[in-house]
Amino acid sequence: MTAAEQGTGGAPAAGPDVHRTMGARRRLVPYYLLSPGGLFLTIFFLLPLCLMLYTSLQSGGLLSGGFTFTWQFSNYGDVLGQYQVQFVRSLVYSGIVTIVALLLAYPMTYWIAFYGGRWKSSLLLLILLPFFVSFVIRTIQWKFILGDNGPILGALKDLGFLPEGFRVLATPVAVIAGITYNFLPFTALPLYVALERIDAALVEAAKDLYSSRWEAFRYVVWPLSLPGVFAAFLLTFVPATGDYVNSTLLGGPSTTMIGNIIQEKFLVELDYPEAAALSVILMIVMLVLATVYARVLGTEDVQRAAGAQA
Amino acid sequence: MSERDDRSMMDPAAMNRVMRNRLTRRTVLKGAGMGVAGFSVASFLAACGGGGGAGGGEELDPTQVFSGEPGDTLDFANWPFYLDQTKDKDGDVYYPSIRQFQEETGITVNYADVINDNAEFFGKIQPLLAGGDDPGWDIIVITNGRYFNQLVAPGYVYPLDPTKRPNFDANAASWAKDPFYDPGNKYGMAWQSGITGIGVNTDLVSAPITKMDDLANPDKVGQASVGMLEGDMPDWVMINLGIDPKTSGPDEWKEAAAWLQMQKDSGVVRGYLGNEYLTDMQNGNLAATMAWSGDVLYSDVWLGLPLEFVFPEGGALLWIDNMMVPVGAQNPAGAAQIMDFYYDPKIAAMVTEWVLYMSPVPATQDLIIKDADKAQEQGYKGYANKLYQTAKSNYLYPDEEFLSHTSFGRDLKTDEEIDEWDSIFLPISQG
Repeated sequence: MTAAEQGTGGAPAAGPDVHRTMGARRRLVPYYLLSPGGLFLTIFFLLPLCLMLYTSLQSGGLLSGGFTFTWQFSNYGDVLGQYQVQFVRSLVYSGIVTIVALLLAYPMTYWIAFYGGRWKSSLLLLILLPFFVSFVIRTIQWKFILGDNGPILGALKDLGFLPEGFRVLATPVAVIAGITYNFLPFTALPLYVALERIDAALVEAAKDLYSSRWEAFRYVVWPLSLPGVFAAFLLTFVPATGDYVNSTLLGGPSTTMIGNIIQEKFLVELDYPEAAALSVILMIVMLVLATVYARVLGTEDVQRAAGAQA
Repeated sequence: MSERDDRSMMDPAAMNRVMRNRLTRRTVLKGAGMGVAGFSVASFLAACGGGGGAGGGEELDPTQVFSGEPGDTLDFANWPFYLDQTKDKDGDVYYPSIRQFQEETGITVNYADVINDNAEFFGKIQPLLAGGDDPGWDIIVITNGRYFNQLVAPGYVYPLDPTKRPNFDANAASWAKDPFYDPGNKYGMAWQSGITGIGVNTDLVSAPITKMDDLANPDKVGQASVGMLEGDMPDWVMINLGIDPKTSGPDEWKEAAAWLQMQKDSGVVRGYLGNEYLTDMQNGNLAATMAWSGDVLYSDVWLGLPLEFVFPEGGALLWIDNMMVPVGAQNPAGAAQIMDFYYDPKIAAMVTEWVLYMSPVPATQDLIIKDADKAQEQGYKGYANKLYQTAKSNYLYPDEEFLSHTSFGRDLKTDEEIDEWDSIFLPISQG
């Protein structure tokens, strides 16, 4: 930064040599700007990633002198064989979560973006407001609200609307609803950003050209909002798949997700190699799915839409 | 090596100071982010490698660790609902016995009920212990069994100084002295003991619950309304199937797993839980649940909830929770002091009247009866009755006959045993 400032400051009086160094300095500026973030990611992302790969190929046990690196590729086979069910369940849950969250967030953000007027920021703040309270605390509140004899189910049961044995907690519905609720802001924000940038005059123009409301949405608004949909998908689907808090707090004996397994491997079994192997597999699956999604379902659309906007 | 040799020649108090400084400086360096990469690689590798901790399995001389002046603060990690508490006139909750300790010694105690589960807590501190770092606690409370062994074997806990516990020597119950898993109380002193039985919500069950099989019977308990304590259930099921867990092997473990699978398939299980079962039970989400004696007795006696503790016909699991001092603790001298403080019968009675677990100090029984007599004289009949009930309960002061229906769990000691055990039981809870 300081180098860049000096360069610009000294420019008018500078001779050819200075110009050359200034050019070199200027070329370096982007790297200076990148370095804090780059350093941060190297230490807290790249390094742990390498350690995770390294750990995933270890074998041994805590009591017999610890784990050693032995190229133990069988860790991968073992965990894949053992935890298919939980892998598939996690993908199904987070798939449902993503779709439901998109269905909920799209109309909501559409309305805010086009009809919010001067209330736009306040309405957006309302969506973000739950973020100001701890994630875990909010989920525990759900547990209280949805308790078998809690304020909602208890009252409905007393009034005879629900059978005595009815419950929401400890079912897949509770887990999926919990994750959807917790990740909704992640879905809504990118959607809002994309929709907000669309010029309302485009919709008017479409109508002037005799399009129906639906056609205006289908051929104008929807394609322009695709980058937002894609970002919303990534920000919701990926973390939702690895989530374990909702399943722990709201789930039952048959709602275990892959995040729970990884957590338990790390903290209960203390089987670090297998836990790391599971994490690597999860990461690869997510990368592959995101790439496939981008390629098959719409990179071109996304890129074209992004290009059109730029 | 040479560093260690030097230490042994140093004056113990000075050594304590040096260790404290060393740890503080390291923490500061970390905080400043200097050489972060180097530190994290080293400590992570150490964590992965296990072993290699400050103790490293080598003998540490307890007289050195625990001598010298105690530090000003003491961090005490314990389980929820495990210490006497009350409210002062402003309505703030405090721990009377801790307050008394603070007044007597001037040591500020940071008491935190952060242990929800042995496995989970051990998993949290293990990487720190393996890296030789301060685990953040001067005292931790761990149940006998695999996690106790996993703390002792790699040298993650200090051997205690037997000269620093006069109250313990004078007052400890026979079962608390020289237990089978810790000869000579080398690494731990009992905090409380208790049994795992069944907590029944009398409003929610449709028939009396008397035995383990009732917890697999939807006609009695309903659907998805039974809590199972994940850590205790293998041993508990074995006992109730008539197997002695102490001498059990993989065949018996599979038998217990088969029962658990059958129970799961019957649809009655709400979840495989840790200490959080207590709130689920108190909130009426569980009709019947595996439960720890004191939790149910407390909820019944002092909170007036419709809960009842049932001793299963097939027997119950007995366990002892032990106070231990992790290597890297900042105030071991203070830890030794407070551990012995809780073996003073008057202090132990304060705890017992509140937690309703088996006290390691039998003399508390007479003190509780005296408190009851006093309450009776002053006209607090209800309160007096509750105290009499407490003092007479077999769950707090068991006789031989009672104990003969209980058993300790399997004392898992090697990685192979633990792997085999986990491979049999974890698939059930990880449905």
